[in-house]
Amino acid sequence: MATTDLRTGSLERHGLSDEQLRGMFRNMLLQRQLDNRGFQLNRQGKVPFALGSEGHEALQAGAAMAFHRGHDILAPYYRDLGLCLGIGLSPFEIMLSIFARADDHNGGRQFPNHYSSKAAGLMSFSSILAAHLPHAVGAAYAIKYRGETGRAVLATCGDGTTSEGEWHESMNFAAVHKLPFVMLVENNEWAISTPLDKQMAQPEIWKRAAGYGMPGRRFNGFDPIQTYAAVKEAMDRAHAGEGPTLVEGTCYRYLAHSTDDNDLTYRTREVVQERRKDDPVPAFEALLLEHGIVTADGVAAMRQDVLRETNEATDAAEALPYPEPADLYKHVYEGAWEPWQS
Amino acid sequence: MAIKPEAQSKLPSSFERHGLTDEQLIAIFRTMLMQRTLENRGFQLNRQGKIPFASASEGHEAVQAGAAMAFERGKDILVPYYRDLGLALGIGVTPYEVLLSLFARAADHSAGRQFPHHYASRRLGLHTISSIIAAQLPHAVGAAFALQYRGEAGRAVLTTFGDGATSEGEWHESVNFAAVHKLPIVFLCENNEWAISTPLARQMGQPDVYKRAEGYGLPGAPVDGMDPIACYEAVDEAMQRARSGGGPSLVEAKCYRFLSHTTDDDDRTYRSPDEVKARRKDDPVPCFERLLAEHGVLNAEQAEALKRSVLEETNDATDRAEAMAYPDAADLYEKVYAEGCEPWIV
Repeated sequence: MATTDLRTGSLERHGLSDEQLRGMFRNMLLQRQLDNRGFQLNRQGKVPFALGSEGHEALQAGAAMAFHRGHDILAPYYRDLGLCLGIGLSPFEIMLSIFARADDHNGGRQFPNHYSSKAAGLMSFSSILAAHLPHAVGAAYAIKYRGETGRAVLATCGDGTTSEGEWHESMNFAAVHKLPFVMLVENNEWAISTPLDKQMAQPEIWKRAAGYGMPGRRFNGFDPIQTYAAVKEAMDRAHAGEGPTLVEGTCYRYLAHSTDDNDLTYRTREVVQERRKDDPVPAFEALLLEHGIVTADGVAAMRQDVLRETNEATDAAEALPYPEPADLYKHVYEGAWEPWQS
Repeated sequence: MAIKPEAQSKLPSSFERHGLTDEQLIAIFRTMLMQRTLENRGFQLNRQGKIPFASASEGHEAVQAGAAMAFERGKDILVPYYRDLGLALGIGVTPYEVLLSLFARAADHSAGRQFPHHYASRRLGLHTISSIIAAQLPHAVGAAFALQYRGEAGRAVLTTFGDGATSEGEWHESVNFAAVHKLPIVFLCENNEWAISTPLARQMGQPDVYKRAEGYGLPGAPVDGMDPIACYEAVDEAMQRARSGGGPSLVEAKCYRFLSHTTDDDDRTYRSPDEVKARRKDDPVPCFERLLAEHGVLNAEQAEALKRSVLEETNDATDRAEAMAYPDAADLYEKVYAEGCEPWIV
């Protein structure tokens, strides 16, 4: 596969139109803005918690472009803001989740940054690492069992999750049954405070694919176009009934694990600073500018628009009420059937 | 799914003994004979209504007798699974102890509380056996971590499991943990192609367990599990690496399960007797007997004497164990909590 080189500026666009490239870039900008907003609101005492996905923007914007809306199912993990935006969630929906308002899809009951949307094909998130993967594989099994063609499940996780038993069981089951399933690992080198070399004895997750009997590949997750190409190839295989694939995108986690974490207790500022030179947002901006896909004015306007949309979503969500205490027992059991009302 | 012919090297006509003496080769053969006789005895006693249950390891004799020869008694720790009669015998468990387990008598190491064929022996470094698939592996890795943590050089853990266990999450977590910490442990997979009624093709997307090793960053190798000398060599090499601080290994022995899963299973409901019959040609017990005869290690007369002594020992152990008492009903609450700490005594 020809690759984009963000440093030398060559552009292999893998069939992506200018509009799609700009769409990916806007997603990346929006992701960073919303991420930042979550941290701001937390520090202002307005929301209890937020998760940061800075450094994952390119990977998520690229992967989302390979998702077929209305067909595919996304089973993400809790650091997937950009993927969710990329498959159609609005900043307002994100803010409802962060503010835990009654209008949120889960009635304000889930963790912040844990979205779900039946309309978008987005499974509800698990905070428990790898707990979503048996569910994701189950969804892929259902697609195969029902004989639904042209549909697949895209599941994501971080490097830490690959050490969980559920990861292994899910991968193996998907391989045995040749399920329409893509396992996308966002390897950011940190599992909260555990570095990759204390997570695995060899650092390349894609190498586990052979042991399951499925193809595996690795790509630069700071490059949204390369990500798109790798994930699309895997999704195409899954759509065509050729079975599962393991794809590993390398990236980096620039922020602390969450607003409740202080990463300076386990890594130095200098290490993070050094990795900032690979930051995918300015790198992709430079590439698009160089190839005339965006102009400096166009980028400035886009940034303004993203900020305006974020501000509006923040104000609109904040103005909404919390769930009513009387609703506590709603949305857990179906209809009027509640086990404590016998 | 059949093993590809090329994957299963025949016993070498040019005899490579990997440093094993005649005495050791005969000891390996005797363990194999004892395993088969005791196993048969378990099934007989069950069909006679004398014991409730027995599991079967026919087809695993070579891998177990060979691997046991690589175990250093008094140093290493064995964490086996429930189909490891030959490994237990090979590291020093006696036929009488095996029969005590089968008969669930009070004198058994678990005082008759464990499943049949679930032995344990602190004296021999033999962990108690779990019926839950792969549940032993985190314990095995924990023991290896303890060896490393305490700086005990020259000791290692040998842990075993079937092909079915490799699909369990605990297997993955254990192998990964061992690799990250470079622990002194050997993972020996006895791949007999059947996980109770699940054939290998429905267990894995590709048939080689050892190929998973690379993804964890540890060495992995296949070995002909019907060849006790090859198994000894593969496990010995891995154990030596573990004892000398070289980290863990994954060894996959390709064998076959000739009997039903246990006395409670009827394998005719999921595989044809013809399949089993076809695989009997690789039966390691007569194959190894022929090899030893061919190379003058053991003549026909000596082999007959060996078989007689194994049968006598089995009969004697059976009679002695059967004559022992069941645990007393009054002992039900003993040996679970430390004395004085029983939670129901307030």
